[in-house]
Amino acid sequence: MRKILLFSFMLFTCMGSSAQEFKVDVSYAYLYSSQLDKAIQTYNFTRPILTEKQPLLTNGLNTSASYIFRNDKHFKHGINFSYAYFRSWAENKKFSNQLNLHVANLGYLLHYENPEKCKGFYSDLIVSATSSLVYRALNEEPFVYDETLSKAFGIGGNVQLKFGYSFQLKNRCYLSPFLSFSYTPYLFSPNNEAVINQTKGLVCRNWTEILTAQFGLTFQVKK
Amino acid sequence: MDRRKFIKQSTFLSIGGLFIPSVFFNSCRKESLFEDINYDGKVIIIGAGAAGLYAAYLLKSKGIEFQLLEANTSYGGRLAKLEGFADFPIDLGAQWLHGKNSILGDLITKSDTKISLDDSAEKYWFNNQLIDKLPKDVNSIFLKEENVPDVSFKDYATQEGFSTDYQYIVENIAGDSGASASSISAYWKMKEEENWVSGDDDFKFQETYFDFIDQQIASAVNDKIILNTVVKKIDYSQDGISVTDTNNTTYLADKVIVTVPISILKSNDIQFVPTLPTEKTDAFSKIGMGAGMKVFLKFSNKFFDENIIGGSVCAAYADESIGKLTNQNVLLAFIMGDQAEYLTALGSDVAITNALLQELDLMYGGQATASFISSHVQNWTTNPYVKGAYSYSTVDMGDARKIAAQSINKKIYFAGEAMNINGHHQTVHGAVETGYREVIKILNDIVK
Repeated sequence: MRKILLFSFMLFTCMGSSAQEFKVDVSYAYLYSSQLDKAIQTYNFTRPILTEKQPLLTNGLNTSASYIFRNDKHFKHGINFSYAYFRSWAENKKFSNQLNLHVANLGYLLHYENPEKCKGFYSDLIVSATSSLVYRALNEEPFVYDETLSKAFGIGGNVQLKFGYSFQLKNRCYLSPFLSFSYTPYLFSPNNEAVINQTKGLVCRNWTEILTAQFGLTFQVKK
Repeated sequence: MDRRKFIKQSTFLSIGGLFIPSVFFNSCRKESLFEDINYDGKVIIIGAGAAGLYAAYLLKSKGIEFQLLEANTSYGGRLAKLEGFADFPIDLGAQWLHGKNSILGDLITKSDTKISLDDSAEKYWFNNQLIDKLPKDVNSIFLKEENVPDVSFKDYATQEGFSTDYQYIVENIAGDSGASASSISAYWKMKEEENWVSGDDDFKFQETYFDFIDQQIASAVNDKIILNTVVKKIDYSQDGISVTDTNNTTYLADKVIVTVPISILKSNDIQFVPTLPTEKTDAFSKIGMGAGMKVFLKFSNKFFDENIIGGSVCAAYADESIGKLTNQNVLLAFIMGDQAEYLTALGSDVAITNALLQELDLMYGGQATASFISSHVQNWTTNPYVKGAYSYSTVDMGDARKIAAQSINKKIYFAGEAMNINGHHQTVHGAVETGYREVIKILNDIVK
């Protein structure tokens, strides 16, 4: 892990030296995953004693940072890192169950804008590697059994399309509202079901696909 | 549009836009399965053990009509309790919660049921002496996850270099799975438990496992249980299904969940009309079910260790009073497979008790007989509606459990610990999982 972080830091530093733009965004994220839904729906169905149902993992917050380091006429290339957090929380008497999903992406970004035709509008295509972590907290504490946290890691790939409109705030600073859609066709995470429904191979596949829609604001600094 | 106006409008649009998709999509996504199910058919559940009780519990929660038919004089299946033998209630059947990452772990937390981790120490009876540690660790070979051959535990241990000195140590490991070392497959045991996720820690109930299931599940459905009802025939040849018991009483249903032990299905105690497919009966025959008994021995002194592993009469003794509110000294003899068959053949509870006391006397210099007060023998093998301990994986077993668990014509469904195909067979929580799995199957079939 330390090596990966060190490598990422060095990569960003090297790229930063020739960066043209730096972007940071914050957005609301809406998530859909059939397999995660299935696990939570089964959990709710099989535990009628829990009157407050576990919400699906749906609403989250996403933040991302991009370095755009090569300038073409209309196309720019860069690197993007994003992180999203989703939570599902149900409060029952003596049983407060919380599911936490963390998703991180690191990948390549292709930025397109054509000021002659559509001034201010831009689109980004981001292809990235995805990693995820689902863990459970019970009665406000991480759920631990056999002295280990109940957790599931996942790994996969992600494609994201982002559309936005940027306008200048002052000097080199820009702000842009954006809308984006991302698709993770394959996220290998064999233990999601074990964390959510305490079974494995009964409800879900070992992998899932995830669809995400985001809506937010980007703050941008151009050289 | 000036910049200020644009920022203002964008901000409002952003906030509004946050909720539009979630409101739209959330209305299409349900929090639970079958939220709007409406079924006016009737389900009969055969067997009021953990699987049957949980299936009934779920059907009740969905307002579906059901009836539970139980052959024994009490419900619970292989969960039962004994009161009056000691000053604490005793589990005659299942007594350990195997890991708390399970649906039952959730129910325990919700109901504030008192459990305690059983981390009691082990001693080994090895080469006629009690020792703390074995010369070679035999347990590790059964924890391997690859290169395990499809041979019995006994043959596997021999192949791995463990001499006959380890015979009863290996019997104890096989006994945990309700089998003899010569019957259970090392490969399929490992293979079937790949999906085991409930955890490796064992917990004991301060009261009993039976009390927990009774209070949390059975109490909700016990008015629908008909005891002393031995099913002899299930006729699913017509649109409806008729279930006939040994008193020739017929019960009609649209769906039937069969949760009886695999031993009952293997011995054709229930006649199916039309007969079940050969593939299915073959699958039943490939799933093992060994003999099993629990003997509780009460002593005036605590001369024994917390766990004694490796006896030739009983490979596993455990201090029953651990985790209980008591000062009394009760030792459990947990006897499985060939050892249970041998003791059953002795013919009486007195003979069984004497055989065990003799072994304990050998281990503890005659202290067992000197401080013996009384015993209770619970022989699950001689119970005609159980006929053994629990299912185990046999050599060359293949996908037998998967085939056995398949439903027939969307009418007959199979549940129970032996039908668990996600690694939790042989356990109560595994049985519960099959109970809800079959209810989901039924409701899916109805929806389709």
